[in-house]
Amino acid sequence: MNRKLHIKIFRYNPLDPDSTPHMQSFHINEYDSMTLFIALNQIRDEMDPSLKFDFCCRAGICGSCGMVINGRPGLACHTQTRDLPAEITLHPLPVFKLLGDLSVDTGTWFRDAGTKIEAWVHGNDAAFDPAAEEVRMENALAEEIFELDRCIECGCCIAACGTARMREDFLGAASIVRIARFAMDPRDLRSDDDYYDVIGNDQGVFGCMGLLGCQDVCPKHIPLQDQLGIMRRMLVLNSVKGILPRAVINSLKHKGCCHEKH
Amino acid sequence: MQIFYTDVLCIGAGLAGERVAVEAAMAGFSTICLSIVPPRRSHSSAAQGGMQAALGNAIMGDGDSPDVHFQDTVKGSDWGCDQEVARIFADTAPIVMREVAHWGVPWNRVEAGVHTYYKGGKPFEAEEKREKHGLIHARAFGGTAKWRTCYTADGTGRSVLNTLDSKCLQYGVTIHDRTQAEALIHDGEKCMGCIARCLRTGELRAYFATATLVATGGYGRCYSATTNAVICDGGGQICALDTGVVPMGNMEAVQFHPTGTVPTDILVTEGCRGDGGTLLDVNEYRFMPDYEPEKAELASRDVVSRRMTEHMRKGLGVKSPYGDHLWLDIRHLGVHHITHKLREVYDICMNFLGVNPIEQLIPVRPTQHYSMGGIRTNRDGAAYGLKGLYSAGEAACWDMHGFNRLGGNSLAETVVAGRYVGKQIVKYLRGNLVSFSMNAMNDARLKLEERIEDIVTGRKGKESALKLRDEMHSVMMDYVGIFRNGQDLQKAVDKLAELHERADGIALQTSPRGFNPEMSTALRIKGMIKLSQCTAYGALMRTESRGAHTREDYPERNDKDWLKRTLAYWQEGEHLPTLVYEDASPFYEIPPGERGYGGGRIIPNELPKERFEIPQEATENLKKAKSKGEEY
Amino acid sequence: MNLSTITLHVPEQSKIAGRLDFVMMVSGALLILFLWAHLLLVSSVVLSPVIMNALAHFFEATYMAQVGGPAIFVVMLIHFILAARKMPFEQGQWKAFVAHSRMMRHKDTTLWLVQVVSAIIILVLASAHVFTVLSDLPITAAKSAARIQNGSWLPIYLVLLPMAEMHVGIGFYRIGIKYGLISSARRAWYQRAEVIMMAGFITIGLITLARFKWLSI
Repeated sequence: MNRKLHIKIFRYNPLDPDSTPHMQSFHINEYDSMTLFIALNQIRDEMDPSLKFDFCCRAGICGSCGMVINGRPGLACHTQTRDLPAEITLHPLPVFKLLGDLSVDTGTWFRDAGTKIEAWVHGNDAAFDPAAEEVRMENALAEEIFELDRCIECGCCIAACGTARMREDFLGAASIVRIARFAMDPRDLRSDDDYYDVIGNDQGVFGCMGLLGCQDVCPKHIPLQDQLGIMRRMLVLNSVKGILPRAVINSLKHKGCCHEKH
Repeated sequence: MQIFYTDVLCIGAGLAGERVAVEAAMAGFSTICLSIVPPRRSHSSAAQGGMQAALGNAIMGDGDSPDVHFQDTVKGSDWGCDQEVARIFADTAPIVMREVAHWGVPWNRVEAGVHTYYKGGKPFEAEEKREKHGLIHARAFGGTAKWRTCYTADGTGRSVLNTLDSKCLQYGVTIHDRTQAEALIHDGEKCMGCIARCLRTGELRAYFATATLVATGGYGRCYSATTNAVICDGGGQICALDTGVVPMGNMEAVQFHPTGTVPTDILVTEGCRGDGGTLLDVNEYRFMPDYEPEKAELASRDVVSRRMTEHMRKGLGVKSPYGDHLWLDIRHLGVHHITHKLREVYDICMNFLGVNPIEQLIPVRPTQHYSMGGIRTNRDGAAYGLKGLYSAGEAACWDMHGFNRLGGNSLAETVVAGRYVGKQIVKYLRGNLVSFSMNAMNDARLKLEERIEDIVTGRKGKESALKLRDEMHSVMMDYVGIFRNGQDLQKAVDKLAELHERADGIALQTSPRGFNPEMSTALRIKGMIKLSQCTAYGALMRTESRGAHTREDYPERNDKDWLKRTLAYWQEGEHLPTLVYEDASPFYEIPPGERGYGGGRIIPNELPKERFEIPQEATENLKKAKSKGEEY
Repeated sequence: MNLSTITLHVPEQSKIAGRLDFVMMVSGALLILFLWAHLLLVSSVVLSPVIMNALAHFFEATYMAQVGGPAIFVVMLIHFILAARKMPFEQGQWKAFVAHSRMMRHKDTTLWLVQVVSAIIILVLASAHVFTVLSDLPITAAKSAARIQNGSWLPIYLVLLPMAEMHVGIGFYRIGIKYGLISSARRAWYQRAEVIMMAGFITIGLITLARFKWLSI
């Protein structure tokens, strides 16, 4: 049962003064195991070589091809057409700067966010000794860190975030969870106060309104909801340190999902 | 036109490019990375399996050492590698793994106690030592004597790339993403940077740099069935080849990975087989032990790919609308193992194939995967022919891989070479001042602008870039694949020469305003045809079988005549590359011999005794490479 | 630390953002508890007006109504002001959010719009309700019934009741989510619990209103 697909694509070239934003329709035949990667390339190869979209690894690992597919941000390369209705609407991701058609500038956005939150392990690089054995770590902890390191910065969580849509300066789930990754890494020597400095504000963790669009669209199924909760609680408790009794803070720390600096 | 000035220019921001950038930036030099995509999208991110380094922490890697790693690498290369380089690599790999661990890579660690592992589908038990608890763990990979591949689940490339990119952020490396290098600026002696095209606006920019590094990965996209990302089009190699003075080394050495999936060609990691996955034929019979009794599925990639093709040629492949394939079976590894340690594999099967690997077989076939060849550099990563030009990673022919690279060696090479070459670049920067020549820049720019004008106006012809690309693909797939012969290769050489000529007449079919993706292909395709020509012509001339290069008409490995590396130069205006040859290795720490798998006859070579001696200078250099680096 | 904003002074370590978030959460939690208690107390009229009168008398005799009433009102105002910092009062923001929730068709996103709209309605109607009740103490079942039977209060309560219960129910779930007390594994369970709770409280409320409507004064 091979269908005829009707694919409606957002078209606009900001660098062409004659171009205006509009939707353009393409009709193609569906094949078995067809993905949007195959469909879009077919459209570009056979119908319109000027169509702009981003693909790189085409295996769901690099994060290039985030776009809004029938209203939901997702990765085009691992979306199979058989899971979609015959009419497919494609938009570029909102929030990010549009470069043309389905292509947006996620690279600049994430680099800026990374700079703001100082997204690197704050250790002592000069202390590295090539002759010494590596510092030991529990395998379970390494796996926990990697779980958050799997983020591919596709931008879906940002585009699916109501707060980010309203406020340009919101750092989004990807950045906050990046800090969570550092917070659980014993090699990062920053304290809770330091983390508070970078995301303890309304642009960071307190700006999150718990809408969970991020959690529901994340193509890598990173546990964003739990980590956002952990970070918010950790930093709220940090802010009332010395006001609330220590016993209350400690008991709240261990409710629900939590992780600790090892 | 915007002109940027910098100390170091890294073309490509994958693992190799970023590792060099970090080294230069940590030494206090201004560094710019150019990248077609944001750095974290580089194809390095897709590497799942791991990095080989002889740490010897895992019980199955007990007794491992750089010596054993070195031996495996040389054997794997079928004695085609530069043994001095392979030695530097094997000896410094453990240091580099620890260094990135220090910077934040969450390597999987040893857990003391008994665990079950699978080999050839059967469970075995091993007990990790208590005193190794918490040190970096390793898994099994093909072609290795020990479990040596350090890994973070099956996202090793991702996690190391994230860490290196974060170090670039920390040390203020400037990233210009969506920028594509189109031509090197040079005067025939020195390289001074490059002309690049901005993929946001389509404008040209010039970058002047004291040292320029090419780290753009492989050129797998010359084949249509490849596991490579769509950006792996050999852009950096093309820039270097176009200078006419920088040669490509061993371009005929192309690796086919045994487990590309059907039909999407997405790779599933060698870790599947390392962890105990088996290959089955149409009768669901495990055939590899019949061909390779000892190593079975874990022989080196060239051997497994060849055996699979051989088996399918016997009519034992599985027929499908997308051609014949075989099965990969990982069902016996269990739900937990598949959804944790092989999670990307699980995701790929579910999302792209609609196959559940916990219950179903995965359709696989050998698929183009890696380019052992590339920009020929010396031991220090400096390209032949131009001063100030360096190369590292898959783009380079540093040549630790020879004619076949081992799984886990290339990912390790990116950072190991990155560190070593980075140190050489720092040394070069400390000792050299370059006067940038505006004339050289203008020459490169005018040539490129003229080419763009040709394409936009269509004044030289009306060829479609996409059509030429498709024709190149089919030539490479049909005639320059796993099994090669003189007749087919001659056809490929002729056909590619014709495509090369037609490529001058490429014209745009759509509006050139702003950035146009069609223009990117149009500018690239001629260079890709040239790289294909180097591959096909080199393969035609090499009348032996070595590693991944298999000639049906010359089945023996001919050490007598071919213990050599092919160097392909491209003189301006020519329609074919000029091939010259050099010795495969400056000296042979391990004399050429049997690999121990793969079979085949060897025509031996009587090398003079002094070729087996390691020069004093090489030993000293190795010692420096292992130190902290202050001596440089 | 933003180096462009600290040039003219030495910044103190300010924890104000976290504390405001904490106060917002605590005030919300208090209001939730209050509202549930309030509803249960008022619904005692269903059993018998005598019980309700007795309870009301208890709260007045102990001055809890006279002090607690205005206090709750202040908590509500504080909660509103803190939460309003997130509300899309700028037209552009409102437009962006509505477009976003249309695009996503995503339950949790849409529920937040419900929160915003219900918050404003509650602010107005609950203020009127508090003022009316507290300016005419003591509270008795007869007076409440009279408001519903004679005045124009029935439609107001019919709006206020579901708005308040929805706001509280969603708010309860949202606190759990935002502070990581509800894990992703338990989310679906809590979503269902929240709906059942809302429906339950609204039903109790409606029964209470019906009782007032037909209570003979």
